[in-house]
This record gives sequence, structure tokens and C-alpha cells, in this order.
Amino acid sequence: MSWADTLSTTDNLRPADQVMQLDRLGSMFASRLSFARSLVRKMIKERWQIGNAVFDLNDQGHGTAIYRITTPQGLYHCVIFCRELRADQRSDRVIAEAWDVTFAIVEGDVEAELLQHMADNVPLQEAGRLSSRVLVLSRANKSLRNFGQFVAALAAGEQPDPAALTAVGYLYRTTAVYGNGKFGIADFARLERNTDFNRPFSAQMLAVYVLRQFSIEQLNHLAKVQAPDTAVELAPELQRYLGIGNSTGLGMAPFLINHPQLIQQWIYGRERALACARLQPASNKCRNKLLALMRRAHRYLQQTVTEDQAQTQRNRNIVQSVQEVIDWLERTPAHPALYRELTDWADNHSSVEAQELINTLLIEMYPELVDSLDDELGCHETMDLQPDMKVRKLKELIEQNFAWALSYSEESAEDNYWFWYRSAEKEEPRLGIRAEESGVEKETALAIGPRISRCYTLLTAFVQNNPSAMVVEFLMARPKQKEIVRRIQTMAPTPYGEIRANLWHRDMKPMHLLRTKLSFFGAGRFDPKSDRWVRITLFQGAPLAVELTNPALALDQLDDWSFPLQPNRQPEKQQGKQAETE
Amino acid sequence: MKVSFNELQGLSRKAFSGVGFDDGDASDAADMVVWMEAHGLNGIQSLKRSLAFILEEDQSHSPEIIYQDADLCVIDAHNRTALNNASLAIELGYAKCRARGLSVTKIRHCHNRMLIVGYLSRVARRNMSVTAFWRDSHQPLTEILVSFKADEEAPEICMYSLDDVPDDTEPNDGITLVMVNHVNLMPDFKADQTLNNLLHQDKHSMNNWQEHALAEGIEVEPEMWDRLKELATRILVESSDDSRQGAGAGTSDSD
Repeated sequence: MSWADTLSTTDNLRPADQVMQLDRLGSMFASRLSFARSLVRKMIKERWQIGNAVFDLNDQGHGTAIYRITTPQGLYHCVIFCRELRADQRSDRVIAEAWDVTFAIVEGDVEAELLQHMADNVPLQEAGRLSSRVLVLSRANKSLRNFGQFVAALAAGEQPDPAALTAVGYLYRTTAVYGNGKFGIADFARLERNTDFNRPFSAQMLAVYVLRQFSIEQLNHLAKVQAPDTAVELAPELQRYLGIGNSTGLGMAPFLINHPQLIQQWIYGRERALACARLQPASNKCRNKLLALMRRAHRYLQQTVTEDQAQTQRNRNIVQSVQEVIDWLERTPAHPALYRELTDWADNHSSVEAQELINTLLIEMYPELVDSLDDELGCHETMDLQPDMKVRKLKELIEQNFAWALSYSEESAEDNYWFWYRSAEKEEPRLGIRAEESGVEKETALAIGPRISRCYTLLTAFVQNNPSAMVVEFLMARPKQKEIVRRIQTMAPTPYGEIRANLWHRDMKPMHLLRTKLSFFGAGRFDPKSDRWVRITLFQGAPLAVELTNPALALDQLDDWSFPLQPNRQPEKQQGKQAETE
Repeated sequence: MKVSFNELQGLSRKAFSGVGFDDGDASDAADMVVWMEAHGLNGIQSLKRSLAFILEEDQSHSPEIIYQDADLCVIDAHNRTALNNASLAIELGYAKCRARGLSVTKIRHCHNRMLIVGYLSRVARRNMSVTAFWRDSHQPLTEILVSFKADEEAPEICMYSLDDVPDDTEPNDGITLVMVNHVNLMPDFKADQTLNNLLHQDKHSMNNWQEHALAEGIEVEPEMWDRLKELATRILVESSDDSRQGAGAGTSDSD
């Protein structure tokens, strides 16, 4: 693994002890390096064409739609199956077995034989088997509230209330987006050679983006079917304000823990971008730009609606905290070290969430400096043992790099409160209370901190008797430690791969894990449904497919879609209604 | 049925965990099977043939060092599978080679020896040349030689039978590994030796196989796949109303 360093700012990086705290990771916002932003930027730069090749839907909106995606490098199709879903089958859990729409991205053309195979298997999702030409497999359910009222409004010749999209920013919500070889589809190893999709999760993001386009076109179709004479299409600004939802739970956690080298690349990339931005001298123009971004984010947060009381309070707090940041910026004149002064001030006066918002917006300010990092967020993951390392050296490595893990106590009930496991129900990851629930003997080894601590205890005793021994000799005596020793040796030289928290601790907040990963995806509008289950929105505000190829629209114009605000538009009678009155 | 690399690796790892392998061994064993399969060396068939034995073995036992000095080590795997008994022996040989320039590691009483090749690829990618030698059957007497050049992902493999079998040869279930740090040891048939060349597989054909498997998927018998899935379920916790709460999702899908 190489730590590519195109931005020579390593001296200015924030310490891992600050960055890798779980509550800080769980306070991050999507940034311009997030995967949804990165994909859209690539699509704009390369003028990807996304068009409807088949749109065979009946009057209920059921049927098949196929979108053709043409890039400078290749041709792909997104095949969408839309079927009736009984009310009793409607669930956003991974354990569901039927959905409103199921869809997949295919490399190349979709021949009749492949289409039939997909029609037989894509709707089955986990129970089906797919071709290795399929890159992504996913499914989604309607937001019934929005869907019904949106169709009704358009059919009546009116635009729906934009506030409805602020409350729930989508018509469809995905519940899983599968890539990397699941159910027979293409391995990521194959995509790594494909410059269209060699960035992390880029193929999955494309699938979600195309679903968004489908949701708009299906909506317009249903309104037209319902009232051919009066129906209007969804207004472009509302189309742009429409995202795709995602509901997700503890399934995010195993990925974060099981891919520390990838997490290192993601966080390292973000931290390098931040370090680089903070070093830039702030002119008055820069200060004003930052203020404008800050005000937009402030308004976005004010508009964000959630039923969850804790998140509502968090939103209130950050709105207040961001207002204080705006006030500070307004009274502080531009000077070369303004950003450093701002972040230092925020460290002492602002909430962690507001601090991370500032960081996100600083990164947003300098596309010309940070966008090259889009191509540095992936890595080839390999963990090899260093068997000839002396045990003394391994002990020192732990003490120097993993001291955060050594506070764990076997005897502390608090330190051992939770356990993680996979359920027999579709292998859904779950959390149980160790002292109360069954299944502890099958727990999954996600808590890296306690494992490091246990290894350290065994190692310390071994070193006392064998001070000159090699690590492999320790492992011959303690073979169960092989996995964690390999991880310690691999990750010790890297600052940002390990989340510095005991995932068994009673105070551990699973939601922080979810938000960590979702922020890298580019998620917004966090709407928790419990302490370990959240709904979010992707691509809200993103340019539409038709805009990607519009030569009149420049990259910087199209790429500026973070923290989208509710369109300033009241529900109004549109063309259809006007035609009626005329 | 066709499966992907990642799918085979993931399910194999879970199946080995279900059998009782420690996490690190389960992961290594899965990598070994998948590496072999991806390089056209029948990893799944090897696993299939030995699965019944593996299920009978006590996986909590570790291989035992019965002799070692600075250059040489002899490990007894106690008639258990190489899948979770060879990796540390190989790492011990690697460590000695790093210190001395050359090491010899002998693993005795070990089955699934062919699968060791999957782990040796890891040694090679760490800039070490490694050659493995073992005899696979007695009638006819067959020898297998596998050599990786340092830094190369795929080996040269020779499997040949001997016409002229020494009188005092007895079957053995050991394997010998020679690792060298600064030169490459590659198989080279002696010109005056009569060998029945049963197999000579070079790295190019193996790399081609890998490309094909990546594009088309890996063929697995459905019965074997179902068997692996069944073993993998051993690490799953039965669901209950309480455990469903542990997922944290609500029961309503409305929004």
C-alpha cells in the first residue's frame, strides 16, 4: 500500500488522536470529496450521457425501464424492474423480500437473453444469481407520502410543495446497494481496471443517480396517465431538489472496521485536503466566499427536518453554533492566516459538528487544490505478517500507536457491555447486551480496541520470558493472536485507519459509525429512526442527467450543489391548469 | 454455478469460521482456496476432497515445533490440514530466511499440501523466493515442485512421476520449503533424468486463468456451495424478537 501524497501538507495534518475519535467521525458532513460529489464531477467533466432506452411502464407505473449510460470509455445500462408491492411486504429492512423497484447496472449491451435472466433474478435480490457483467444490484421502496401527493399535484397541473421534499427529500429510498461480487456480480478487482468506476463505490453511486432520474420520469408518467389533459411535469428546480433516500443500519459498521486501510485512505485524503486549504491565504474574496457557503449551510441546517428528538436537538445546536461562526467571520477581517485563526477559534468555541462543518467548507473552497484526491481514495488492501519483527518492537508499536486501546479492562462491565453478531436473518449485523442476550459465543470480532489490549497483555508476559524472540515465535505460542498482530503491524505506520473507540463500551454510539461512512458517500439530511438506524438523502441538489451534457453549463456551476436549499417556490398552478383556464 | 472471487472468499471464510478456525486462520484458509481456484489449481476440489477430514479435526490444536535452529525448522502438523496449520510454519521459515539468507522448513504429517501454494504466494510478494517440494503418492511415485520467484504472483509448478523408484522409499505426508532471500530457485529438469512429466504449469497460464475467472466468474458445484453455506450458518445467531430490536430498525416503512 502506498500513501500517495500529491499535496505536500503532511506537517499540517490534524493528529489522529483528534480525528479518529468516534464522536468526531460521527459529526462529519459530506464534502466535495464524497463519492456522490466525486462521481457527478467526473460525469460533468467527461459529459456522460444518460438516456432512456426503454420505458415500458403501465398505467400503475409497473414495468421495465432501461437507461443507457455512455462514457468516453464505455457503455453501460441500468435496468429497472418496477412491480406491485403488497402493503404487508413493505419494509426498509435488509430482511425484506420484495420491493417497489429492483435494478442493476450492466456493463455493455443488454441482450434479450441477459434481460430475461435479469428479469428472473434482479427482483429476487439476495435470493437471485446474477451475471458477472452486472456491476451493481440494488432495490428501493417508494416514499408513499411524497409519491402520492406528488402524482396528485402534477396530475392537477400543480407543482408539489417544495417543503415536502425538504421533509423527505426523495420519492424512492434504497435499502441496499450491492457491489463487489455479491450474488455473482462483478468483483471490484475487475472494476479497478475500469477508469469509469475505479473509485470507491462509484458504480454504486451511479446506480443511485440513475434511480433518481427514473423516479422523476416515472412520476411524470403517472401524472400524465392520471390526467392527460391537465398534467404537468415536475419543475426543473424541484427535479434538482429531489434526491434518493437510503435507510441503513449496523451493516455500515463491519465495513468500517474490516477495511482499515481503505478508511485510512479516505480520512487521509480528507485531512490532506483540509490541511492544504487551511494553509491558503484568505483574501477578502475568499472570506466572502466562505461566508456565503457558511450561510447556505446554515440555512440548509435550519431547513432540515427530523422526527428524532436527539437529532432535532443536535440540529438546533449546530444551527446556533454555525450562526456564531458566521458572526465571528463577519467581524473578522480577511488576513493570510484567517483559516487557521478560524479553526483555532472554533476548537474552543464551537460544537464538534460545527468544527467539522467549517472543515468541509474550507475543503469546498479550493477545488483546484483538492479535487485530484478523488483518484487517491482507493487502495489495494493486503495485510501481511512481519514474522521476524522482535516481540519487543511489537510491544513498542502497540504502546506508541495504540495506546488508546489499552485503557480497556476485562473486569469492567461498562467496557464489555455490547457484543456484535450476525443474525441468521439474512446475516443482518446486530448489537446485543452481553450480560443479557444469547449468542455471545458467536460474536463477531469487531471491537479492535479490546483485541489489541488482550494481545498486549499476552505479549507483555511473553516478552518477559523471551525478550529476544521474534513475533512468529510469540504466535506459535499464541496462534489466536495472528489476525490482530497482522493488523497492528500493518496499521501502525498509518494514522487514520483505526477508529479510536471501544465498540463494546456501553457509551458507544452506533450512529456515529453509520454517519462516518455515510458522510463519505455524500449523504445529507440525517434522519435517525433509532440509535442505530438512519435514513439519509443522496444526490439532493445534484445536476440532472440532461444538464451533464449541456455545454452552456460550466463545471464549477454544475458542481456547486452541496447543502441544497429548498427552492423558493410556492405551490402554483402550472401549464396544464393554465391551458384549462384558457 | 458461477460465483465471484469476493463471494467465494467471503463464504469460505465464514465456513472455516463455522468449522472452528480462528479468525486469522479462517481468513488465510479462504485466501488459499480462492487463490488456488483463481489460478486454475482446483482449490475448491481440494477443499471438497478434504472437508470430511477437516470437520473431524480438533481445530483448537496448533502445529508443534519439534526442532529448530537458526536455519532449519521442523514442524509437526499432527495429521491435520495445511489450511490452518501451515501459515505460521511458513512464516517461521520466512523469518529465518530474512535473518540467514536461506532457510529450510519441513512440515510433517500434513494433508491438503497443495493448498499451501496459495499461502506461498504471500511470501513471494514480500520479495522472497520460495520452493516447495513434496511427494504426493507412492504408486506411481509422484513429486511436486512449486517455485515462486521473488515478487511474482504466480509460480512455476512441475508434477512428475518417477519410473525408477528407490527400494527403501516409504510414503510420507510431509512437505519441504526452501526460501532464499537474494536469488531465485526455479525448477529445472535434469537433462539425463527420465521423468514422466504429468504437469508443467507456468505462471503465464495461471495468470491467464485468473483473467478468465475475473471476467466470467468461478464455477462451483451447487452442492459444494450449499455445503459451504451450511457451514457458514454456524456463526450466525438465531433470530428472535429481542434480537430484531438489536438491529435498531423500526417496524414501519412509512415516510
